[in-house]
Amino acid sequence: MSERKNDEFISYELKEFKLFEPLFRWARKKSLWIVAFCTGCGGIEMPPLATARYDFERFGIMPNPAPRMGDLFLITGYVTPKTLKRIIITYEMMQDPKYVLAHGSCPINGGVYWDSYNVVKQLDKYIPIDVAIAGCMPRAEAVMQGIMDIIRKIENGEADGWKRYRENYEWYRKNQDELFGEGWREKDAKRWLAWL
Amino acid sequence: MFDWKLALEAIGMVIYATFMGFIFMGIERKAMARIQRRIGPPIYQPIIDTLKLLGKKESVSHGLIYDFGPVFALGASITALLFIPIANFQLFSSNADLIVVAYLLEVPMLGIMLGAMSSGNPYSALGVQRGLLTMVAMQLPYGLALIALIQHWGTFKLSNIVALQQVHGWSITVPALLLAFIVFDIVFQALLGLEPFDIVSAPAEISMGPMVEYGGKHAALLFTQHAVQLFAETAFFAVLFLGGASNLLELLVKQIAVLFIAIFVASIYPRFTIDQAAKFFWKWPTIIGIIAVLLTM
Repeated sequence: MSERKNDEFISYELKEFKLFEPLFRWARKKSLWIVAFCTGCGGIEMPPLATARYDFERFGIMPNPAPRMGDLFLITGYVTPKTLKRIIITYEMMQDPKYVLAHGSCPINGGVYWDSYNVVKQLDKYIPIDVAIAGCMPRAEAVMQGIMDIIRKIENGEADGWKRYRENYEWYRKNQDELFGEGWREKDAKRWLAWL
Repeated sequence: MFDWKLALEAIGMVIYATFMGFIFMGIERKAMARIQRRIGPPIYQPIIDTLKLLGKKESVSHGLIYDFGPVFALGASITALLFIPIANFQLFSSNADLIVVAYLLEVPMLGIMLGAMSSGNPYSALGVQRGLLTMVAMQLPYGLALIALIQHWGTFKLSNIVALQQVHGWSITVPALLLAFIVFDIVFQALLGLEPFDIVSAPAEISMGPMVEYGGKHAALLFTQHAVQLFAETAFFAVLFLGGASNLLELLVKQIAVLFIAIFVASIYPRFTIDQAAKFFWKWPTIIGIIAVLLTM
């Protein structure tokens, strides 16, 4: 997969918009809207980022509670199977292109919950992560650095988590089904999202 | 006989209004940020946001009415814009265009609600319910302010009101109309969906209210609609109370003055709940409005 160039992936965009792709890429990096899934202890790092001290709005980043409009999905802390169901559904509700930023050690390898029976050790098996920030808990500067990394990756076209999710959907689906059992979408997600 | 000059003028006006509306939205965000001692986004940030939303690779649709809602809202906003005399240019004119504009400015909210309801999301439904209640609550003071104005100037035509203000001084120099101005300014806050009355799209409370299901190109259309709406509403305010304008620059200064009043009020007041808002609208603005109407009799 790595020898294929980035643009040779299955093209999801319309042919007419191909011409404007550089413009859209510029706009995407300048306006990231955050859907923050504040699990665990990372949520408390968000207020300093949004308020006068670090002020991420100067880069056009805006907290946005609606997943349909969001671009950047923040997962701030450990993930249990119960929250993972919600994370997957929210991730699938977001519209392409979408990026995932994982805070802290817990989504990478379990962190301090390395031997817990009820924590998902490796989030990357279930949804694709674009940038992960190590640390327990990363400070606001580190989160800012992670967001800058995302912006740099969007600029280069390397932030392709949403493409990987489409390419390898069966693999991700298999991992999810192994954890939750077959048919969890029909059983649980239909109950939460009855209008879909 | 097709009038090319008029058509070009209308298209130019819509493009200018959209662009300036985006800049107004940027000014709004920048000023809010400066008041909170932040640096804030660049002034053209809403244009970037709209471009990004247009560049989304997929856009979920929930059916025909869902797609129709934003188009309906945008159409109503543009129609309202073309009825307002913007610096000697007014495409449509009728004997009662004040009433037409006053109600066309409320139609976009109905369009958004039409689309939002058809998505079936419970947050949308809650937002729509709150929006309709706010609209019902603000009708009474809104109507009273306009009645006071019409009664004083004795005409329903916007261009006549502008002409009369050029001769006799601005509306706000008349004591009775100053009261009407205060009422209209309170209602204006609700029309723009700003802070004391941003119950409709209460961001931390019910997600984004009616907009929660919209994403991608639909949301870009709604952003454009909001820009045109912002321009039209500030222009309507300037025409009614600040003496209109003879050129675009004068109008721009008045519009920005109106916008800054709204921003300053929005940045210091917290949000009402829906029952408090309705109670407020039917108490103080209504009383002031009735006094204004009685004074103009």
